Amino acid sequence: MPKVKIPRKSTAVDMTAMCDVAFLLLTFFILTTKFKPQEAVQIDIPPSTAQIPLPDKDIMKFEIAPDGKIYFGLDDQNTRLKLLDRLSKEYNIPFSAEQKDAFKTLEIWGMDIKQLPAFLSKEANERAKIKQDGLKIDTIGGEHQVEDLILFSRQENPELRIAIKGDKNTEYKSFDKLIKALQNRKVNKFNIITSAKGKQE
Amino acid sequence: MAELDTSSKGGGKHGGGKRAKKQSTRVDLTAMVDLGFLLITFFMLATTLNKPKTMEVNKPDNTEEDKKDEPKIKMSKTLTLLLGDNNKAYWYVSPDEIDASTNLTLDSIDYSPNGVRKIVRRRQREVMEMFGADKKDELFVMIKPLPGSKLKNTVDVLDEMTISGVKRYAILEPNDPIDSLVALRINQKRK
Repeated sequence: MPKVKIPRKSTAVDMTAMCDVAFLLLTFFILTTKFKPQEAVQIDIPPSTAQIPLPDKDIMKFEIAPDGKIYFGLDDQNTRLKLLDRLSKEYNIPFSAEQKDAFKTLEIWGMDIKQLPAFLSKEANERAKIKQDGLKIDTIGGEHQVEDLILFSRQENPELRIAIKGDKNTEYKSFDKLIKALQNRKVNKFNIITSAKGKQE
Repeated sequence: MAELDTSSKGGGKHGGGKRAKKQSTRVDLTAMVDLGFLLITFFMLATTLNKPKTMEVNKPDNTEEDKKDEPKIKMSKTLTLLLGDNNKAYWYVSPDEIDASTNLTLDSIDYSPNGVRKIVRRRQREVMEMFGADKKDELFVMIKPLPGSKLKNTVDVLDEMTISGVKRYAILEPNDPIDSLVALRINQKRK
């Protein structure tokens, strides 16, 4: 019987194709990626069968934490700046250039407007550590900060749509306060952000 | 600097110059592939995969002006869902007119398909029987969340409206006298 000689093959494989694929995928992910926005609080959104995707731009977002605290965010940096200018005029709060820059990068915030300058003067990583108190949703001394925010933002950018991101365990009470504020500013249409649920269980 | 090339053997045609050895153009790509996949993994994990969906809510205008012109809805075409705490909902059908003989049935249900959906379907059927088959969409569901209910409950009920194909529904405040009665009976705050 003749011996079959198995030729010893090199273990080196041609990596070119694999490399191509890897970088193709990499490019794809880099281009499609949209980083998770920074969050003031962790919010667990309720599932629903709604299928309308959230629009990409012109969004005014309210977040309601389970404890009823309300946070506010605008998606567009220019609108944020315009809003800050408006606030500084209406509330007589001067903002420095650095504070304005800091506000421009602020995705979402929730506090008394009067506390904003102090908050904005802090370093970015320090700001992230601070527990924010939530917006002032109640009327105090004839001023209603949330209503003002709604009004000013919409005046600066009339295209704005309102999205409400509430935790599923938020009590309706705090949601209702926000809706009342919206309705007082003639906003009768808004979106509740939900996560997609599979077909029917 | 200038070094004497002593190792060259038999200086060929180029007279003593170092002969360029023809090297393979192949580079070991393993490291590059590693890097590529590492970055892919990073981007995959950093991406928000499922885009959030939204649910559109339209509230009736709360300005007082033209309230009076609105036609009244026949109460027998309605269904009222009161959303209470502890993930319970309560439903009732207000009678057209309240008199001494009025007996209100109140029932507590949950948000599963056996709860809200069953009631909504049943009311749709009842409205159809009472007003004719073409009036299926006439059912008007009044959703009244009590302050203690969770946002999830409201979203669930709105979802049920879409699933059951209820065309007319509204989120209202529990302002009806019956609502306060019900809230009292289930021992919950109305405001």
